[in-house]
Amino acid sequence: MRVFLAILACKLLRFVGKLVGKGSSLPGKYALKICPDILKRVELPAHIIAVTGSNGKTSTVEMIAAILRAEGKRVVYNEEGSNQIEGVTTLVLNNATFGGKVKADVLLIESDERYAARSFKFFHPTHFVITNLYRDQMTRNGHPESVYDAILPAIHPETELLLNADDPLTSCFAKGQEKVKWFGLDKCSISVSEPTGVYHDGAHCPVCGAAMDYAYVHYNHIGAYLCPKCGHGKHQTDYTATAVDLENGTLTLDGAYTISLAFRSIYNVYNILAAYAVCRECGIDGSIAQQVISNYVLKNGRMQTFRLGGHHGTLLTSKHENSIAYDTNLRYIASTKTECTVLLIVDAVSRKYFTSETSWLWDIDFEQLNADHVKRIVLSGQYCADLAQRFSFTQIPQEKWEVIPEIPAAAESIKAAGNEEVYVVTCFSDRDKLLALTEKEG
Amino acid sequence: MELNLLHFYPDLMSLYGSYANLSVLARTLETMGNTVTITYVEPGDEADILGADFLFMGAGTEKRQKFALADFVRHGDEVKKAAQDGTPMLFCGTAMELLGKTILDESEKEYSGIGLGDFTAKQQVRRIVEDVYGHTKLFDAPMVGFINKSSILTGVETPLLTSMNLGFGNEAEGGAEGFLYQNVIGSHLTGPILAKNPRLLETVIAAIYAKRGAQCPEIPKDQWAEQGYAVTARELKARCK
Repeated sequence: MRVFLAILACKLLRFVGKLVGKGSSLPGKYALKICPDILKRVELPAHIIAVTGSNGKTSTVEMIAAILRAEGKRVVYNEEGSNQIEGVTTLVLNNATFGGKVKADVLLIESDERYAARSFKFFHPTHFVITNLYRDQMTRNGHPESVYDAILPAIHPETELLLNADDPLTSCFAKGQEKVKWFGLDKCSISVSEPTGVYHDGAHCPVCGAAMDYAYVHYNHIGAYLCPKCGHGKHQTDYTATAVDLENGTLTLDGAYTISLAFRSIYNVYNILAAYAVCRECGIDGSIAQQVISNYVLKNGRMQTFRLGGHHGTLLTSKHENSIAYDTNLRYIASTKTECTVLLIVDAVSRKYFTSETSWLWDIDFEQLNADHVKRIVLSGQYCADLAQRFSFTQIPQEKWEVIPEIPAAAESIKAAGNEEVYVVTCFSDRDKLLALTEKEG
Repeated sequence: MELNLLHFYPDLMSLYGSYANLSVLARTLETMGNTVTITYVEPGDEADILGADFLFMGAGTEKRQKFALADFVRHGDEVKKAAQDGTPMLFCGTAMELLGKTILDESEKEYSGIGLGDFTAKQQVRRIVEDVYGHTKLFDAPMVGFINKSSILTGVETPLLTSMNLGFGNEAEGGAEGFLYQNVIGSHLTGPILAKNPRLLETVIAAIYAKRGAQCPEIPKDQWAEQGYAVTARELKARCK
């Protein structure tokens, strides 16, 4: 009876919530009050795929769903991104019959890394993809190892893990786990010999602390590592990106499936690889994944284009407190080679909570903007002085960057002259402050 | 002057942009006409601690802190001697805990610090993450920053911050925070505490000159550091009860 009531309450609240535009975690919250172990009492699909990690969760989940649906699977997933237990409960119950049977072939869950253990207390995924663990929202998460400790209790012995072999910390989840599959990227055109970035989280082995060796690096500390002391190293991969050409926008998986990249970023490569790996594990043919993912444009893309006066502009949304994601956006700008102006905005540090914490600015490799084609850099927003202080420690010539605190004045200054490309890097909370001042393209 | 700054475990203990403390310190000292050398000390390296003008260690994860500690104890006696002689030092975040008597990890396992201070750090699973607005006896201006830690510190008799309007201190909300002994500063305020607090940077520079027995000239002000501090202090003050 309680199961029925919980499902009823959840469905009703979800219906009403949709009418008034409320979020998707509240119905689940009430259902959990009515029946705390509801997730144990419902009948779940045979495949339960969960994705967690610092970066790439949303994109990876979206592509997994697209591939599985192309194969005719019925997939339910938290498209709205409510990735804690309440949101997961809403998702499950809203797609269940009143008898408690979830009407799907696959339940696909984007799981918040810190709360995964709560979400998977009453059921466990059949497949659990862990994309990476980076310095991310440190004001909330502490540091990558504390996130590791938080995820660990969410892993059930029967769950099959799909791990990023190129990430030294994520690879540690394999310890003591029987069912593990690995994905990773072979040495390729983008590989370099030394770690990149301002700090080096791969310098020391996460297991024993000894200095670690790298055969090659794809970006930051992600690559082929080996600890000479304890042997912790990149595992042989089961699913492999065997060739990557970001200049021409192609990616080859397992030497057999070549994919055209809609967005030529190393991030996109890893997200595609993770999605491909888990779909293959669920019995999907590689050629299906290839067809779906080739030129796939993400619905929740974090890249938006606009016009500002004579300029064509691209907004690269980045979580402020995530230096590796930010570095990736800067690397993208550096790779474009066309003359451009870059506008960096730090107005609110986070969209979810107040903080004045700006130490993360020192973890970002702004030096990447020290390129001939980057003609002008404008620093704006409430914390522009912190940005300027950080910039004063780069080698970027001082005449190239300037501070315009007010966002409208910064946009106006760029709009007033020229027709070069404009790249804007900022976070979710600040992007609309800029987009409101621009025109839509087309 | 020719000044030698020691940076302990730059990769191992590097959370929250800690390195920027040395960046702002070195650049300001250079602007004042000094020649500055930063020497990195890795585990296993020898270090000329008694010949150094400044010692620095950044914050690290709780696990990496233990790796650092395993090496740092070798230098313990010399660090204590240098501290007693008035050598300025800054130990950020978990690095500060190495200066104490003991560290208890979350499973109650005990590690011995170098014992410069008579305090104990007890680490817990729950993290304490908060903005900080507090006060020190070193200067009048409020200190600003952010705390991100898992430890409760007991037994600190000479804290860096004597009170806080925002933030969790060594062992209590709003209580005293950090450690201060002669010219040694320890604090759980994350990251570039010297970049974010220009007055603290000036205090450290004055101490470096004093240790050398030299007259400290006027310290140049960085306009961006001053403006950045003013904005953060204003925003945080507005949050204080």
